[in-house]
Amino acid sequence: MTERATLHQKNLEKIFNPQSVAIIGANQNKGTVPFDIFNGILSGDFNGVIYPVSPGKKNISVIKAYKYVLDIEDPVDLGIIVFPSSVAHMALEQCGQKGIKSVIIISAGFREVGGKGIERERKLLEIAQKYDISFIGPNCLGLINTDPNVRINASFARQMPAAGSIGFLSQSGALCTAVLDYAQAKGIGFSKFVSFGNKADISEVDLMYYLMRDEKTKVILLYLEEVSDGRALMKAAKDVIEQSGKPILIIKSGRTEEGASAAASHTGSLAGSDEICDAAFEQAGIIRCDHIEEMFNIATAFAYEPIPPSNRVAIITNAGGPGVLTTDTAIKEGLQLACFSEETSKVLKKALPNTANINNPVDVIGDATAERYEAAMEAAFQDSNVDGVFVILTPQSMTDIDIIAQKVVDVVQKYDKPVYTSFMGEADVASGIRILQQNQIPHYSLPESMSKAFAVTHQFGQYLKKAPAQRIDMAATDPLKAKEIIQKAIREGKTYLQEYEAIELLNAYGLPVSEGVLVTSEKEAGQMAQQIGFPAVMKIQSSDVLHKVDVGGVQLNVITEEDARRTYHSIISNVQERMPKAKIQGVFITRQIPKGEEVILGLKRDPSFGPVIMFGLGGIFVEIFKDVSFRVVPVTREEVLEMIKQVKAYEILAGARGRSRRDVEAIADAILKLSQLAIDHPQITELDINPLIVLEEGKGCFVADVKVLLTNELEFN
Amino acid sequence: MEKSEVKARVVNVITSILEIEEALVTDEANFIFDLGADSMQSLQLVAGFEEEFDIEMDEDKALDVQTVGHAVDFIAEYL
Repeated sequence: MTERATLHQKNLEKIFNPQSVAIIGANQNKGTVPFDIFNGILSGDFNGVIYPVSPGKKNISVIKAYKYVLDIEDPVDLGIIVFPSSVAHMALEQCGQKGIKSVIIISAGFREVGGKGIERERKLLEIAQKYDISFIGPNCLGLINTDPNVRINASFARQMPAAGSIGFLSQSGALCTAVLDYAQAKGIGFSKFVSFGNKADISEVDLMYYLMRDEKTKVILLYLEEVSDGRALMKAAKDVIEQSGKPILIIKSGRTEEGASAAASHTGSLAGSDEICDAAFEQAGIIRCDHIEEMFNIATAFAYEPIPPSNRVAIITNAGGPGVLTTDTAIKEGLQLACFSEETSKVLKKALPNTANINNPVDVIGDATAERYEAAMEAAFQDSNVDGVFVILTPQSMTDIDIIAQKVVDVVQKYDKPVYTSFMGEADVASGIRILQQNQIPHYSLPESMSKAFAVTHQFGQYLKKAPAQRIDMAATDPLKAKEIIQKAIREGKTYLQEYEAIELLNAYGLPVSEGVLVTSEKEAGQMAQQIGFPAVMKIQSSDVLHKVDVGGVQLNVITEEDARRTYHSIISNVQERMPKAKIQGVFITRQIPKGEEVILGLKRDPSFGPVIMFGLGGIFVEIFKDVSFRVVPVTREEVLEMIKQVKAYEILAGARGRSRRDVEAIADAILKLSQLAIDHPQITELDINPLIVLEEGKGCFVADVKVLLTNELEFN
Repeated sequence: MEKSEVKARVVNVITSILEIEEALVTDEANFIFDLGADSMQSLQLVAGFEEEFDIEMDEDKALDVQTVGHAVDFIAEYL
């Protein structure tokens, strides 16, 4: 953690738990942000002292106002700046002089407006650093802490939400108010609620670390519009999950592709920012949600219920159709219908009418009373084959909705297994749903959402159980040799390596290349081909030719010395004819690699997440099906094996339909070495190994072609 | 018009719109940070100066003016 990040953790204490607050720039004009912020704190039963700072005013409401924050005699824990952006820096400077270290800057008109705003934001940071101040914002809605010992609504949200165990962090202020309204309707409470706006100083990463230590927070939700430092976000998520076991749910808006089409390699064009974001989140254990409803569906499951040890569910319903629907969604989400023990079957048979279905899903029949639901729930909870219970209700004329809801509440209190409910419908079931929500029983209007929430909590439980990653020994690499190759190419003004150079580079990292030699005459071609062995492959080497096949610059199956001489001549003639101005370095001869399955390995640098590796089945599969997987480096062997298995075409490598199984372990080795190469040499911007030929299990794999793109904008260490 | 006369009339407009004592209206005083002008009062000040001096100012530029001294110089350019 950097010095400033450590300072933020200290200063966040007073941002969330202040005993005194100065609202700097408060006014008396109802309906304005400065007044509403002041009023929110005043009317929210804040357990502390409030100081409005408002030049020219003697008081705001009934509270004495100060001209400057410096005029307040007592110490102030938290400064909330609501002045316009043009003078926010003056207010921050005075906070510094007053010794206030914790500040929220609500004001807008900074980086988000460009021009002068960028300069203003820079100035704020400069002042904050001068006085060791940490600030949230600018351009934010503020924060809420529902802890009864604090109770601060330092925001312009309409009201203080209920207390709960969900910590919500949002880059968008406007979304916050909508989320609060949504949560209020669903009876969802929050521990902390923060809008961090432009995150000029305190970022989502700092806030995640704070919530990790916050005893009131069980689940962390985050709405992000931009991931400015993806690696820091991943590290924070891993730390939070590993150290506290708290799940992190993120909505990252902007699932769009940008810049991918302009990329020069397969990896560049396939690795869009959103795909990388998906992969990075998964790798860090972050649960990515598509929308607010899904986020809260899952969040309430985490907040209210224990994580299921396994995925076996019992479904209890008073209607057959919804039971089948729920079964379908459960299976689709990878859950299993629990197989009841003999004892459970006996109990159910005794408690339920003859017409009831005592197998899973249990149908307690349309006329089911609360007692029937109770008997079925008790039996299911007591069965050790059941890890969680889904209770479904449809409102029929004889259904006592509220009584059944209350019965669910009473029964689940006795057991340490999760229960999820779905009272299907809207108007008739509303009061029953309210009972469930008030008692913190997760409720879902659709079975799909219920199954998904259970599946996600179960998967998170499995993620927590994963063994810590093993360190990988990379002693066999020769980074100095690789550096020499890259440095030489950059000195010569190249933006990509010639194939013979790229092969040498991969060889330095122990990647399985077929060694070759660069020849510059027909005679030499014949001699070297003879030495390397037949069949051989010959390829043009020219810094002006990127796509060798297109200019007749590649020949496979060269089988004799005479053939090699002839091929040299024809390759040179082809290129000279099609690209007369191309500068030719020679022809590269390698031993032809035996036939195998073609896969692609790639590397790309993402502006936010850094080096990212890609895997997929090669050939036409890459471009047409885009069946590829990504991971942010560094990676563990386990992660690499997962990424290989993640592609749909993995079955082909695993030996589907009588084909021989391919050497997956050798692919994993190659990916790990590629990952190390990416870490050691930031000058490599993109790299494609396409194809990597994979032989049968135990026989390895070989690089058949490689493309390496470089940047000359980075210094060498 | 003499600058001192411009300043005296500027101070008059400010004290009447912001309802503050004349002593507070120094050259360095910032309209928002020191004199407590809110966004509505900032617009009223621009309108007040235009009326007082019978001029029409560029509103965007006028709202960028931060201090009393700067306001005097800014208005003087229109006279």
